[in-house]
Amino acid sequence: MSWTDYLIGALIAVVAGLDRTAVFQFMVSRPIVAAPLTGWLLGDAAAGLQVGALVELLWLGRLPVGAAIPPDDTQVAVGATVLTIFFAGLTPFSALPAPLICTLVAMPLGKAGQFFDRAARHWNGRLLHRAQQALAAGNLGEVERSHLRGIGHFALAAFVTYLVIVGGGFLLLPLLAPYFGSPVAEASTWLKLAFPLVGTAVILGTINVSRSLTLFGASFGSALLLLWLV
Amino acid sequence: MSRWVLLRVWLRLFLLQASWNFERLQSLGALYVLAPALRILYREEDLAEAYRRHLEYFNTHPFMASPVLGAAIALEEERCRGAEGALGVEEFKGMIMAPYAAMGDGFFWGGLRPLAAAVALFFAAKGSLWAPLVFLTLFNVPHLWIRTFGLWRGYTLGLKVVETLHRHRLPDLAIRLKEGTLVLLGGLCAYLTYRALQGEGESSIWGLSVIPLVALLGWLARRGVSTLMLTMTLAALVLAFLQFG
Repeated sequence: MSWTDYLIGALIAVVAGLDRTAVFQFMVSRPIVAAPLTGWLLGDAAAGLQVGALVELLWLGRLPVGAAIPPDDTQVAVGATVLTIFFAGLTPFSALPAPLICTLVAMPLGKAGQFFDRAARHWNGRLLHRAQQALAAGNLGEVERSHLRGIGHFALAAFVTYLVIVGGGFLLLPLLAPYFGSPVAEASTWLKLAFPLVGTAVILGTINVSRSLTLFGASFGSALLLLWLV
Repeated sequence: MSRWVLLRVWLRLFLLQASWNFERLQSLGALYVLAPALRILYREEDLAEAYRRHLEYFNTHPFMASPVLGAAIALEEERCRGAEGALGVEEFKGMIMAPYAAMGDGFFWGGLRPLAAAVALFFAAKGSLWAPLVFLTLFNVPHLWIRTFGLWRGYTLGLKVVETLHRHRLPDLAIRLKEGTLVLLGGLCAYLTYRALQGEGESSIWGLSVIPLVALLGWLARRGVSTLMLTMTLAALVLAFLQFG
């Protein structure tokens, strides 16, 4: 990977990071979109799709409601895809299931995203005061510009989170891969299943629908039996 | 209000949360969205007063802000003409933002987004790169509809937009979407489990053990155990079982 590739990754991290809450909200920020997009632009869309499928359900049940800040699954997805593409090309890693290992490393690092997101919202509080002062001074144009400056804060938060995940991944993966690489490769089938099961369980636990387990269980059981019979 | 001004308001709706902050949440964003309309209606000190009015606390679902702010423009027009009704624009926004936030959160975040994700994951499970496009299409058709027609309806109907939106029964629809999502996730998990068992040469009937496992994980999630902790613990258990089991 060249520096241009890292810059492309950073650009997607910022654009998708802004899409999370600050602007547009077309949901380009969802892992199932952001990760394949990153992979596609870096020349390996399939790797991005694998990462996106692993991460998508995990925090889907955490709603961005009011002052609640869900974990930054966008940057986990983008960062894990960049790491996957980088490490998959290196000889000691080529036999390992890179999307799995990189996602497992990126997930705890992604916790930093909540911290930076919260910081961006605190900085935006200063913009509000700035707008109030501008309004008192009769400078209405400055009031509107103050609002737009918030985009810079959110972009910075997304970029720094991306740096933490990718930088942390570069430090941790060469240290962890010799010990965990082979066991993860052996368990890859079950680990790939563990991600959607945890995501589904969290959704079941938080979706607030009566008979949710009954609906899930009936659908799961009948689909499994049907697949078994056919 | 000309269509050009409404178009500018509509475009600014996509930037509503750019300065979201813990003190007044979307207040500065709501003012930014309304600014082109306010500049048409007021001049000098009246305009500054209108800005002050809309810099007060405001928070609703970002997509449901369209009808609310559309109706706010209609109410500002009435006020400007001196035909203000019993309910002022500040009271209207204050009264309507919380129920609309709950409706939008339930429908878009709790219902539509998981449903679109579940459908897209079926494509991803087959390795199809249509997955992101399927997700974006399923989510954004209703999203853009409410952003666009919500603003227009809000502006043309004013206070009556409340009745119109209630007729759509979004909370009921949200429940149906959530139920549909659970059925789809059941099918998806069954497919992934079946494929994993086949790949490992195990009997498919073992797949039924996934139901109590998911129920246990869901119970732990409801008790406040974080997703990160659940994923890492399950991954560690799988690794330990395969190494030492």
